[in-house]
Amino acid sequence: MRESGVAFFSSLTLHSLAMAFVVGINFAVAARLIGFAPRLEMAALSRFYEIHWYAAAVIFISGTALLLAYPAKALSNPVFYIKLCAIVIGLLISKRIQSTFENKPEVLIENTSIKLAYLSIALWVITLTAGRFLAYTHSILLASRFY
Amino acid sequence: MLDFLLNFSQTTGIYAFMNSSWGWPIAESVHFFGLCLLIGSVGLFDLRMMGYASEISLSELHRLVPIGVAGYLLNVITGTMFLSTSPNQYLYNPAVQSKLFFMLIAGINMMVFYGTTATHVKSGASSSQVILRAKIIAGISLFCWCAVIVCGRLITYYRPPYHWCLWC
Repeated sequence: MRESGVAFFSSLTLHSLAMAFVVGINFAVAARLIGFAPRLEMAALSRFYEIHWYAAAVIFISGTALLLAYPAKALSNPVFYIKLCAIVIGLLISKRIQSTFENKPEVLIENTSIKLAYLSIALWVITLTAGRFLAYTHSILLASRFY
Repeated sequence: MLDFLLNFSQTTGIYAFMNSSWGWPIAESVHFFGLCLLIGSVGLFDLRMMGYASEISLSELHRLVPIGVAGYLLNVITGTMFLSTSPNQYLYNPAVQSKLFFMLIAGINMMVFYGTTATHVKSGASSSQVILRAKIIAGISLFCWCAVIVCGRLITYYRPPYHWCLWC
């Protein structure tokens, strides 16, 4: 991974592309829950969660590949754990919203869902920001510096 | 051109901000946030036009597009900040040039959509010819925005003049 420019770059690119779809779909759903496009049915919009979960799988695989390439760089950086926590909680919220609305056109949007939408936006902003800051905040690049 | 951009950056305070401790990563975060807004609105609209999730009303889904426009504006602002702060690293960078090319194609494609197809698509009463055109336009749009993300990632891999470049 580390020595192959193509493998590293492909993982990085796939990670960015998949992240754009996951975050984008979550923003679209959150925007709808907050009040944008009020006649857009949440049950129908939930169809995009299918793509969302495929993209989340790509994030997991490419993220693991990137972690394997530079494990010390990520694991020694607190920002990495902030990103990890934000992404896990963000995905749990996605699952909760999906199970609330998917195939249930009769379900109304309640306050809890609106609060979850705001929390989801905050968590995805934290994920993106932490992801970018990872490249600037590491203090250790390779564990081999200790040997 | 280089001097003009650098002078613009320095006189507006962009240069000082971008060279501060967290200026660059903050701008990068906002830039990617804008791209996510684009994918979450324009990208989903493209997927719907291509036939995915056909139970969703196109005219209702189109109401999310202003969010994408806001994302695009964030990208233009932060993109200008990158370009003007380090113009020699961007102007001659083939990845940046490719990114701008795909943005241009996406822009022309959008004008074609609003000029020829949008009204028919949003009204919901479309002929098979209009549906085919809408699918092609949506495919081009989605491809271009994904290519913009890929080229954006490539920028750090091409630091002129150390790499071969078709344009330089």
